[in-house]
Amino acid sequence: QDDSVTVLPSPQEVTATLRKNEFNKEFTYGTIKSYDSNQLASNNPIEDTRSEGQCIFTPGFLMGVFDGHGGPACAQVISKRMLKYIAASLLSVHNLEKIKKQEVMDNLIETFNDKADIVQDLKVIYEKSFRKYLDDLSKLHEEGDVDVQTCLEKSILHLDDDLSKEVLDPYSTDGFINHKTLSVALSGAVACIAYIDGPHLYVANIGDCNAVLGTMTEENEWISKKITKEHNSENIDELKRIWNEHPENERNTIIRRDRLLGELAPLRSLGDFRYKWSADMLGKLAVPLIGQRAIPANYHTPPYLTAKPDVFYHRLTPKDKFLIIASDGIWDMMTPLQSVKLVGEHMKGKVFFNPLKLPKKNIQLGDINELLLHRKESLKSKPKDRNAATHLIRHAIGGTEYGVDHSRLAHLLSLSPDVSRMFRDDMTVTVIYFDSEYLRQCPA
Amino acid sequence: QKKNLSNCLEDLPSKAKVVICGGGVMGAAVAYHLSKRGWGGDTVIIEKERVGQGSRWHSSGLVGAFKPSLAQVKIAQSSIQLLKDLESQGKETGWKQCGSLLIARTRDRMTVYRRMKSQSVSWGIPCELVNPKKCQEIWPLLNVDDVLGGLWIPGDGVGDPYLFCMSLMEEAIKNGVGVKEECSITAVHSKNGRVSGVETTQGPIECQYFVNCAGFWARQVGQLAKPQVKVPLLPCEHYYLHTKQIGNLDPMTPVLRDPDGYIYLRERDGCILAGGFEPIAKPVYEEEIENSTQRCLPEDWDHFHVLLQELLKRVPSLNQSVLHKLCNGLEAFSPDCKWIVGEAPEIFNYHVAAGMKTVGISAAGGVAEATVDEIVEGYTKYDMYELDISRFLGLHNNKRFLRDRVKEAPGIHYGLPYPFHEFETGRNLRLSPIYPTLRDKGAVFGQVMGYERPTWFESVEKEADMPRPFKIAHTKTFGKPHWFETVQREYWACREAIGLADYSSFTKIDIQSQGNEVVDLLQYLCSNDVDVPVGSIIHTGMQNERGGYENDCSLARISENHYMMIAPTIQQTRCKVWMRRHLPVNGSVTLSDVTSMYTAICILGPFTRNLLSELTDTDLSPSNFPFFTFKELDVGLANGVRAMNLTHTGELGYVLYIPNEFALHVYNRLISQGEKYGITHVGYYAARSLRVEKFFAFWGQDLDTMTTPLECGRTWRVKFDKDIPFIGREALLKQREMGVTRQYVQLLLTDHEHELDLWSWGGEPIYRDGNYCGQTTTTSYGFTFKKQVCLGFVQNLDKDGIPQKVTNDYILSGHYEIDIAGIRYAAKVNLHSPNLPTKYPDKERDVYQATRKLHDPTQFLGRHYQP
Repeated sequence: QDDSVTVLPSPQEVTATLRKNEFNKEFTYGTIKSYDSNQLASNNPIEDTRSEGQCIFTPGFLMGVFDGHGGPACAQVISKRMLKYIAASLLSVHNLEKIKKQEVMDNLIETFNDKADIVQDLKVIYEKSFRKYLDDLSKLHEEGDVDVQTCLEKSILHLDDDLSKEVLDPYSTDGFINHKTLSVALSGAVACIAYIDGPHLYVANIGDCNAVLGTMTEENEWISKKITKEHNSENIDELKRIWNEHPENERNTIIRRDRLLGELAPLRSLGDFRYKWSADMLGKLAVPLIGQRAIPANYHTPPYLTAKPDVFYHRLTPKDKFLIIASDGIWDMMTPLQSVKLVGEHMKGKVFFNPLKLPKKNIQLGDINELLLHRKESLKSKPKDRNAATHLIRHAIGGTEYGVDHSRLAHLLSLSPDVSRMFRDDMTVTVIYFDSEYLRQCPA
Repeated sequence: QKKNLSNCLEDLPSKAKVVICGGGVMGAAVAYHLSKRGWGGDTVIIEKERVGQGSRWHSSGLVGAFKPSLAQVKIAQSSIQLLKDLESQGKETGWKQCGSLLIARTRDRMTVYRRMKSQSVSWGIPCELVNPKKCQEIWPLLNVDDVLGGLWIPGDGVGDPYLFCMSLMEEAIKNGVGVKEECSITAVHSKNGRVSGVETTQGPIECQYFVNCAGFWARQVGQLAKPQVKVPLLPCEHYYLHTKQIGNLDPMTPVLRDPDGYIYLRERDGCILAGGFEPIAKPVYEEEIENSTQRCLPEDWDHFHVLLQELLKRVPSLNQSVLHKLCNGLEAFSPDCKWIVGEAPEIFNYHVAAGMKTVGISAAGGVAEATVDEIVEGYTKYDMYELDISRFLGLHNNKRFLRDRVKEAPGIHYGLPYPFHEFETGRNLRLSPIYPTLRDKGAVFGQVMGYERPTWFESVEKEADMPRPFKIAHTKTFGKPHWFETVQREYWACREAIGLADYSSFTKIDIQSQGNEVVDLLQYLCSNDVDVPVGSIIHTGMQNERGGYENDCSLARISENHYMMIAPTIQQTRCKVWMRRHLPVNGSVTLSDVTSMYTAICILGPFTRNLLSELTDTDLSPSNFPFFTFKELDVGLANGVRAMNLTHTGELGYVLYIPNEFALHVYNRLISQGEKYGITHVGYYAARSLRVEKFFAFWGQDLDTMTTPLECGRTWRVKFDKDIPFIGREALLKQREMGVTRQYVQLLLTDHEHELDLWSWGGEPIYRDGNYCGQTTTTSYGFTFKKQVCLGFVQNLDKDGIPQKVTNDYILSGHYEIDIAGIRYAAKVNLHSPNLPTKYPDKERDVYQATRKLHDPTQFLGRHYQP
């Protein structure tokens, strides 16, 4: 219907589009030297979200990427709530009790690139859920070492459970259907969250995002270590798990066309209560909103879906240079090794975005010349984008055998959202750089 | 070691004659010179910060006399004289006559030095060519492995801009100048087109003159005026490297300039101070630079590296020198890397002295003297067109244009001064409607006033890819240029077939009135009689009070009270200002610049009448459309083409001024009908060669504000025989009585081998019987003479160098030589345009020429016929 002439964006316009959501933060001390993040939408609005923050009462950073589906609601909500839930689970008993008693609760986490806000009425509901969560935590709390893996798992499951309760509780007491909480519960999101504390790296993964570690070998070559294993139909363990959880006679219907019940690509996710609640409950809550198709075909033994994360642990060494967390929009376009090589090359070139700072006093002009000659050689490989996440997205979209192709980039970026989603998904990338010097000095 | 200026003003006066904006060395020098003329009590300097605020780390203090042109040399010499005068009166200036050494890495650079050495005779700058061994003796730390030689200028030196500025200020204050610090100009007002006063942060001042000496901020200060004054300048990063103390460094170490490495070095307080002008500069994108602190940016070593490498190569021992400081100070450059001086075209009595491009100390004394001459006397002692602010158009002040161009500008400073320099940036700006076609037909372009003008046409293959890429002309030699054969082919097309040239860049002005006011005005402005029959074209100068040329133009009388003026391209701003200055105040005469409304196509050659006859029904025979007349023609299917039966180069032909929308149509008709006559595209270089061989003078190249018609053989074009007053009449009458002291001549080099010898490119000294007698202006190879042709002025200098009267006998009785880069070539002198042999004599036009002899050309000195 649109027969107007499409004018391809210029290189400057492409760059402006790619850099629109760029974010970078540097840290002065600790494992994380800095991080770069960026997002590029294909859907309108974008269904990916991300959040990063530093725990206030405990050491450690949390960095998450969330890829929504069936609408942006769930991903938006969990990106606002998840880090807080995890941070709370890591609190000491003392701090937990102190915070519970506060009229206005202290922030548990300092977030860095937090632009979105939750509407006021939901805020009230979420605050209530969170206080309840803190009560539960203090009941369950056992003295002794906090097991991070358990904390991650429990807090994520608790959040998912709260998404459900925030619909079911008012319905069961007053028969009231809150459409806002319901739309969150009916949409879904996969998530990948890294928790970094000193040399300890934990990655909790639900669904098909991935975290990849970039490591430099003794021979100065880049190798990629894929930390996560995505929960989709290519994951045979995951298929076995699902088959085992349901009767034998559902074996042919439970995964069809590589999807859960023929509908959902990721095999674990948050929200998505259309695959978790009973058919009866769906009939009461979801059918009035979206009709009979709300109940998937062959829906016999729910729940079919869980938000239970796989939690991976890795002890960081000075060889580990960075961690890439990205939604499947990126991983559809490039392999983990490609991404590590791109970020590795970028790291080398990135140094030269900064002007030369002379290292010492009383330096001779000849020595300055040596330094500059060395820089000049490296300046040739200076990347176009200062932000590594942008660098990855640029290559993911415009990459060809012979480098980034402008016309390819321009074409793919100028498609309308309904066409665009056939060629590429929303992309979200967070690249976390580690301080090798700090890691070298970390006690074992 | 900074001091405070004492006796500054507490309060602003409400009135002054002159307000100077800027208390830097430039403003101080203007105030100083004004005070020397007794204007001290009427002059106020307004300084935004403190006087001498500029950082000492951000200046080189180099003072060199050798500059590329006479005006610049005169200015530098005046500055040096001022330094010496102050110093001899015991005022501190930091002046140290340590000499300067210029070294060459390439043969072309050596040629430049040889040309400078030969020019130094005309300019009075003692200097000496030296071999590499001597270079090393003068500068012991020098690496001369790749040095071919050098030029040693013992009179050069260094000064301290800060001390110089303070001493000038103190002198100025002593002579009554008021200095107000920490006060900013916020507006410059005008009334009836003249400066009427300024607003400052501390109140208004009524004044008659305003001098913008704001240096780095001159462009912004220009914008404070109503109407806005355009001072095209943009800042670039500019570096100064300071080492720590170097043992045994002679304080009299000369300044070293190594232009092939873009660098200079000097001694300062036992340390080396070095810098340069890198080929690709880094323009500044920060918009708001408010004060001298913000003018210093963090250093970008990667950018400076180009210069550092060259410094270390030239002086290897610097490798072990310890860095003290690298300073990145912003410096403003003009689009052509020349100073900006003179009265602003927008407002009378608004003077600009800015864009000193880091060498303010060499420029200040002289530029200030010239500015003060202009304010007090009304004119400068020497022609300043080259530096005049009226050399620009509005486009030059476009920030994006400046940003593009300024990358290239600083590099010009040390670049090789090849003939016909072209910029690579800021191109494809003003384009005639036939530009794309000419480009595809092989045009290679030169830029003049932003206009792309074909210089020559490369041969293109028919199947060549269209559109052809834009190509910029280059010469890059001092000998026979690579375009020689191409231009030769075009030249012969004009002489024996038909040449077609794009003259669109010419300035075109319509001047008209209701009654005969326009005739009265032009009679007063022009030295020739412009009250000619309608349809005639008159060639005339517009003289100043001294008889010099302010403008040289053709006037076509379109109707009783309507003239169309055709003037040189570079006059577009300037001639309008000159005329506006004299327009009747009642507004009865209107000027309209129609340059952009017409495309000018010139057809030259013996068959042009036949060609044009095929395209129009108008009878073009000489009886109906004689030579040197104008007609509005229908050409092809178009109408309203203003056709002038002349070519500006002495060939037969027509210039067609075509309304833009018809331009391509008329062009296409000319080309297709002209094919059987062998019509050929010709560029500017061929036209130039034609006019030099025919001995035609051009304003801006041969003629200037100091040259009179009597000196260039155009006496017969002055209406002496009529009792009509015009500007300059008295001066010219006096000169006619006294005789001239310089004469425009044509010189043909008789023993010059154009294939092997270096060519003359203008500015070469002329010797008569072995004695220096003048300089060449424009030169070319004469394809008919098969000789190098030089135009220039000859003087009769007595043994004290005082010019004496020049007569025909004096000119013709001498034996002449031209010195090209140190070799003298014998030359045959011509006083009149030569008769070039031609295969196609034009009887009618010859007859017409003969009728013009009513002026009896033999009566006066210069009688060569020049349409």
